[in-house]
Amino acid sequence: MEEKDVSRRDFFKTVGVGSIATAVVAGVREGEAAQGPAAIGPGDAPVTLTINGRRHQLQVEPRVTLLDAMRTRLDITGPKRVCDRGACGACTVIIEGRTYYSCSMLAVEAQGKNIRTVDGLSQGSTLHPVQQAFCDHDGLMCGFCTPGFVMATVALLEKTPNPTPDQAKKALDGNLCRCGTNIGVLKAALSAKGVARG
Amino acid sequence: MDSQAPAPAQHPKYAWPEKPRLIGTRVSRIDGPLKVTGRAKYSYDILRPGMLYGRIVRSPHAHARLKSIDATAAEKAPGVKALLITIKPGDKVLYPGQEIGALAAATEQQAADALRLIKVEWDVLPALATVEQSMRPEAPQVFTPANTRRGTAQEDGNLDTGFAAAAHTVEGTYSTQVQTHTSLETHGCICEWNGENLTAWVSTQAVHGTREGFAAGLKIPQANVRVITEFMGGGFGSKFGPDIQGLLCARVAKAAGAPVKMMLDRKEEHLTTGNRPSAFARVRAGVAADGKLTAFDAQTWGTGGAGAGSDYPLPYIYTFPNRRRTHTDVYINSGQQRAMRAPGHPQGCFVTEVLMDELADRVRMDPMEFRLKNLPPLAPNAMWAKYFPMGAERINWKSRHVTGDPTPGPIKRGLGCSANRWGGAGQGARAHCEIGSDGSVVMRCGTQDIGTGNRTIMAMVVAETLGLEVNQVTIELGDSNQPFAPGSGGSTTAAAVMPAMRVTAGKARDALFERIAPQLGVPVDQISMGVGTVLVSLSTRDPLSDAQSAARSGQAPSSRSISWRDACRLLGTIPVSVDGQWERGLSAGGTSGVQFADVEVDIETGITKVRKIVCVQDCGLIVDAKTAETQCYGGIISGLNYAVFEERILDRNTANMVNPNMEWYHMAGQSDIPEIDVVLVDQPERGVIGIGEPPAVATAAAVANAIRNATGVTLRSIPITPDRLLTELERAGGTN
Repeated sequence: MEEKDVSRRDFFKTVGVGSIATAVVAGVREGEAAQGPAAIGPGDAPVTLTINGRRHQLQVEPRVTLLDAMRTRLDITGPKRVCDRGACGACTVIIEGRTYYSCSMLAVEAQGKNIRTVDGLSQGSTLHPVQQAFCDHDGLMCGFCTPGFVMATVALLEKTPNPTPDQAKKALDGNLCRCGTNIGVLKAALSAKGVARG
Repeated sequence: MDSQAPAPAQHPKYAWPEKPRLIGTRVSRIDGPLKVTGRAKYSYDILRPGMLYGRIVRSPHAHARLKSIDATAAEKAPGVKALLITIKPGDKVLYPGQEIGALAAATEQQAADALRLIKVEWDVLPALATVEQSMRPEAPQVFTPANTRRGTAQEDGNLDTGFAAAAHTVEGTYSTQVQTHTSLETHGCICEWNGENLTAWVSTQAVHGTREGFAAGLKIPQANVRVITEFMGGGFGSKFGPDIQGLLCARVAKAAGAPVKMMLDRKEEHLTTGNRPSAFARVRAGVAADGKLTAFDAQTWGTGGAGAGSDYPLPYIYTFPNRRRTHTDVYINSGQQRAMRAPGHPQGCFVTEVLMDELADRVRMDPMEFRLKNLPPLAPNAMWAKYFPMGAERINWKSRHVTGDPTPGPIKRGLGCSANRWGGAGQGARAHCEIGSDGSVVMRCGTQDIGTGNRTIMAMVVAETLGLEVNQVTIELGDSNQPFAPGSGGSTTAAAVMPAMRVTAGKARDALFERIAPQLGVPVDQISMGVGTVLVSLSTRDPLSDAQSAARSGQAPSSRSISWRDACRLLGTIPVSVDGQWERGLSAGGTSGVQFADVEVDIETGITKVRKIVCVQDCGLIVDAKTAETQCYGGIISGLNYAVFEERILDRNTANMVNPNMEWYHMAGQSDIPEIDVVLVDQPERGVIGIGEPPAVATAAAVANAIRNATGVTLRSIPITPDRLLTELERAGGTN
């Protein structure tokens, strides 16, 4: 068999370990290119955001991210700013059932969408089952990554109520913790029950 | 804080209970609900009315002299309220990111725009980007008096005798990388002036120390400064004062006449807020034919950046009867090191433990047996000889093969082990306790919870002492207006604060009894604490002790109980209000632990998968088994990152960091996390000892030894990334 002749190691040696890179092809949607979006900015523009079921109207520059608009204009500070470039997941929110890094989405892009943050999960003093599981299994230390991990777990369980450990790990791979709470986080993700489909 | 002798036996008045009700159980973090809901407000989250956003002006160069700086355009830029330049022509900068000024504007975007309008001209000077560049004889002299600082030799025994007794020697150069703290909440603060008084919400590990730092830096009385840190997003040793950005924030806030938020961005955080120094060691070590270590001779060096030290303990733990070691600090043009999670120990542990496995192979001994033969004698703070066999059992050490997995195919399994020690003693904390007439209990202490669970174990100790449940106690911390407590570094907080909690709550209990005794109509020594109740004994313990008791001596002993609330109601309008502080005999220093790693290495891709870590660790009296265990998980994961993932990489021409972010500065993701088996060993007789740092020390060495055991090649340098492992495998001709 051919596989025997070319081992994976030889393959990597041939192409050079350091040079494996995914080519990113920038594509422009044709319709958008022809018409162009309505021009706003560079000054403040009106933006309407629906966050945790409440509509907020604000004036921000078009370059302001969803994360910064929430944190600095609306005092919604559950989502944290940590890497500010889509690597750590501390700013994770759920939009239409899937997770987004709110540091990597502009506020103007998020208009008309139902944005959910960790701040809207609990019902009064009753914690959401995922929040309760994080507390029970000590899936938090300093707590700065916790809102992002909680939201990533909620998104996972709303789609996959009984995930395997591998499914849970994969779903949480987009979030980083520096204290090293990952053991408790995984236990929480695998034990939280009763998460209704969102 | 290095390991210290255990505290001498004492019989403190408020000794730990012999049969505790709460201490040692598993209690969930009391601030968990605030953190999982996003309601916990960190310094980064504080919004103040009229608050501006600050940015620091920084040097882009590693080494340069300022020619000119023109900030007039920036000063006039939209939204800018204050601007401050702290450098003048002719001044030099010594690392990329060095602070040269600050500004504040109405929005973050305006502040960033204004920053770009500052015109700076530099004479760029030759920079030193690596220790090799700095140590070359022909290197430009960048630092005064020299680029390196050689320490004096530390010697013990006689090296010639030691090497003469050696049947085998190992020689090699070992090294560890620079890592940055990468706290998720960056350094920074919000400064707000009210006249000459400053309130600062700071991400800090030391509210009192930071107050002193502001006062000294701004030349104002300490009484004028209040520092608040209610929640804090990680520090790991890097956050102990206002720092330059804090002082600049206070100054621009004063100039602007408005509160200013100055939180660093991720790149600034990597460049300027500390790191763990690199370590290099050229070692020659000898072992006798019977497996006893005979000699250790090392030249070591490392860099802590621009003008900062890089020393570390070496050799680590094991007994080399004859040894010599000389360390040289090497300066390069990068940000300075700061204490980082067990400063020095992971470096010394890695060098020594990898060497130990190499020496064990020379005498054909099992690496654990070899270690047992060369450990210091058992002591309360030196329990390795007991812990190694415990860990071996749990990792299935008997399944270990000799160096180099003989199994055919690309996947190789291996096991490795290592040991750690740490100090963890603390003192000096003070506290204030109030018991109200409605039964509420407030404990105030100017300590901080940097994510360790300090708040939770404080509540546990107070509740234990007052016979209450954890949720009946209010803990107030993180404010320099509260009684003094030391900074949270060196794993000292638990050992400093828990005795203060015990003593202060004990005094409050005594004060409560004194106050209610007359109303209950009994002497105070007939009152004791129940669970949620106050117990009143109706006869004295020793009826012959006084005439009054003698009169009642015919009665059968009995007692009645009063609920906590009813007892407190007797206080009337004046609450119990007492101060207390740390006392000797309730805490100690000196911990020991061992770790084992089980890894799987794909020798075709060079990728290491850590399957399991076993950790056996003590920390004196365990207060909360749940959060103590989490500390171990956290330390181990930080050691895993050190072993195979993270590294600060500097451009060798410009000395600028090429991975100042969180995607190329690698850290473990959820899929990289191994199974972790933690065995916490309780030593209640020793009192409380800190556990934040010890578990972070040994992991990298255990993983490196397991990789060596799997692949048969010795990696004397971390992080063991796929490219490095493949290079070594290639040099060794592979193992297949």
